[in-house]
Amino acid sequence: MSRNTLIFGFGLAVALVAGWVGFPRALYVQRQQPLEFRHKTHAEKSGIADCSECHALREDGAFAGIPAMEKCAGCHSERIGESKAEATLVDNFIKPGHETPWLVYARQPANVWFSHAIHVKRAGLACTECHSTYGESDQVRVYQVNRISGYSRDIWGHSISRLRRAPHEGMKMSDCEDCHRRHNVEVGCLGCHE
Amino acid sequence: MKVTRRDLLVWSAGAAAGLVVTPVPWKLLDDSSIWSQNWPWIPQPTRGPVEVKQSACTLCPNGCGMRLKMAAGWPVGVAGGSSHPISRGALCPLGFGAHQLNWHPERLRTVRRRATTSSWSEAKAAFAKACSEGPVVIIDGYPGRAASSVLESFNQKRNGSYRVVLGRETRALAPYEAWSGVPASALGYDLENAQTIVSFGAPLLDGWGPPGRFTRLWAERVAGAGPQLRLIQADGSLSRTATRAWRWVPVQAGCETALAAGVARVLLEERLVLARGPMPPLTLVDAASQTGLTTDAIRDLARTIVAHPPAVAIANDDNPAIAALNVVLGAAGASGGIVRRSKPATSYVGADAAIPSARAVLIDSSVPWDFARQTDAEVFRFAAWDGGSSKADWLLPAPGFLEELTDVPTAPTSAIETYAVAPSLVKAPAEVQSAAQFLSSIDPTLTTAEKIIHARCEDLFRGRIGTLIGRDRTSVAKLDSVQKFEEQLWKGAVWVGERSRPDGLRCELQVWPTAATSARPESWSATWPAPVLPPLASKLYKESSLREPPERRNA
Repeated sequence: MSRNTLIFGFGLAVALVAGWVGFPRALYVQRQQPLEFRHKTHAEKSGIADCSECHALREDGAFAGIPAMEKCAGCHSERIGESKAEATLVDNFIKPGHETPWLVYARQPANVWFSHAIHVKRAGLACTECHSTYGESDQVRVYQVNRISGYSRDIWGHSISRLRRAPHEGMKMSDCEDCHRRHNVEVGCLGCHE
Repeated sequence: MKVTRRDLLVWSAGAAAGLVVTPVPWKLLDDSSIWSQNWPWIPQPTRGPVEVKQSACTLCPNGCGMRLKMAAGWPVGVAGGSSHPISRGALCPLGFGAHQLNWHPERLRTVRRRATTSSWSEAKAAFAKACSEGPVVIIDGYPGRAASSVLESFNQKRNGSYRVVLGRETRALAPYEAWSGVPASALGYDLENAQTIVSFGAPLLDGWGPPGRFTRLWAERVAGAGPQLRLIQADGSLSRTATRAWRWVPVQAGCETALAAGVARVLLEERLVLARGPMPPLTLVDAASQTGLTTDAIRDLARTIVAHPPAVAIANDDNPAIAALNVVLGAAGASGGIVRRSKPATSYVGADAAIPSARAVLIDSSVPWDFARQTDAEVFRFAAWDGGSSKADWLLPAPGFLEELTDVPTAPTSAIETYAVAPSLVKAPAEVQSAAQFLSSIDPTLTTAEKIIHARCEDLFRGRIGTLIGRDRTSVAKLDSVQKFEEQLWKGAVWVGERSRPDGLRCELQVWPTAATSARPESWSATWPAPVLPPLASKLYKESSLREPPERRNA
């Protein structure tokens, strides 16, 4: 093997390692959620069986998203456990009346209009089709934010190559288009960009 | 081992080749494009609870239904309200961006007097002084609202003149008012029951009346829902409406009067209709030479029109000959033609009529900027956006989109009465006032627009007729209180009256009319072209090429 081939191969290898391993680590910053939250514990101990009990649709069809502190205060007005997260929740947020500043994995740009009501009620999609089994998780995932775009890594999907993604991974416009194409649903530009 | 320059170049070539097959360039391209949308100087809506509210568009008299996406109490998205009985989910391009108009760079926030900053107190003093010195003319671009009633009341007390700027669609109905005595503001087109529509240059599929009304109807009929609808477009050019019409009749621009007379002559001579009107003086040969059609083509057109009744002709402006053709066709006061709506209406004096010598002219913010005035009177111009301050002595900042409570009366071309309320969903800047608020501050005895809206709701509720259409359809007779009626209207429901009475319009026409639009006397507003557009539309909408101006359309 010639010297030039070796040097070329070395440069190639460095770029591949930097691009596939170093780049994603440099691109995303990890941030901790303000609270520990366990979907599984709430489902098992509190008997919350359905996602919509907390993540409800309003009368006007808008999705309420993460429940307001008022909802949490229904059970957690006083500490009901000894964990550090429980103390933080009650002392830092519920008693002072502050909303928890959750880092939202699915936050989209302001020009995107996504209606949970249409997808759940009209299309009949189950929550797990997009959110997988997150409702049964025992901890909140680490929130990773893209240094350049400022959006969550969940928008792009965990896989940096976007290859071999699970159906619920990725919330790019192309993902919306793919799903709509699979389900043969045409909405046009204004369906999502009002 | 010595590293040479050649080694570095070879290494770089390898790295570059490797980089291409990593996500680095592609991901950076994607991220940088998103980054460019989030520069700090680009205004972002406030984060907060998202909710959806139903309302009505107040930018022009068509009052289309709107669905507003509100974030933290601010509108961040607009879509058509699909439950609205007239607009049926459609909006014009300006309506889709209406929530952004309040942040327009030309938004007015200060009182100006001849391009210098002034104050509301000085403006009030100047207007009050003008009122005491001579007659005042108030010009309204959106008559029928509660705010319009305030303007009218002020004028009645001061013996002034209340003039309105009428849209092309309403002006096209003016001849029927002259022949029947029924105000043009009480007339509409029963398009839903028509089977043949002859449009004389009216842009039916390109900006005529509420955008959704005819486009939806046309799409449904083309798709086979309901009886076949034939749209015949007589146009000087292959306009957007002409391209989609059932038939395009290419005629020379500006010869609509001759074509209408020619068609009417054929209808009467060949007894294709029951004789309902006088014979046009224009011969068929003359009509053919003026329109550029052959006599056979006009005969064929006349036969086609009556082959598929009911038929109605639609003019693009005040054209008595086309109105007379409707009388001959029997479309005036008939199902599928020109109908009288159920509610009594007022006869308005157009702003293009001769204006008596006035001491001051107050122009409401609903009057488009294209309105050209030629008067020596002191002009007080209300506007939410600056469209040319040099035209007015006083430029007074008015509330912007959904910044004030207003009601939405029936759209000009509608065959049925409707009533809606557009509540104030956005907090108005402290510096703005509407013309009605301005006059109320000068004359505190005037009834406020809010009280007038309440009284109108009470009247509709007491009438016990019609239906409220919102998320559900509710008969007014089933509501047990006026509060519930008002509550539904405030939430975006639309009151819809009963169907119009076709026999409520009888036109007496003894002689074929000779006056045409082109013969309209030159007046101080004769240069004003498109009345239905809201003030900013003249700058944004027309320049955006989304809507061709009439002169280009007919070029």
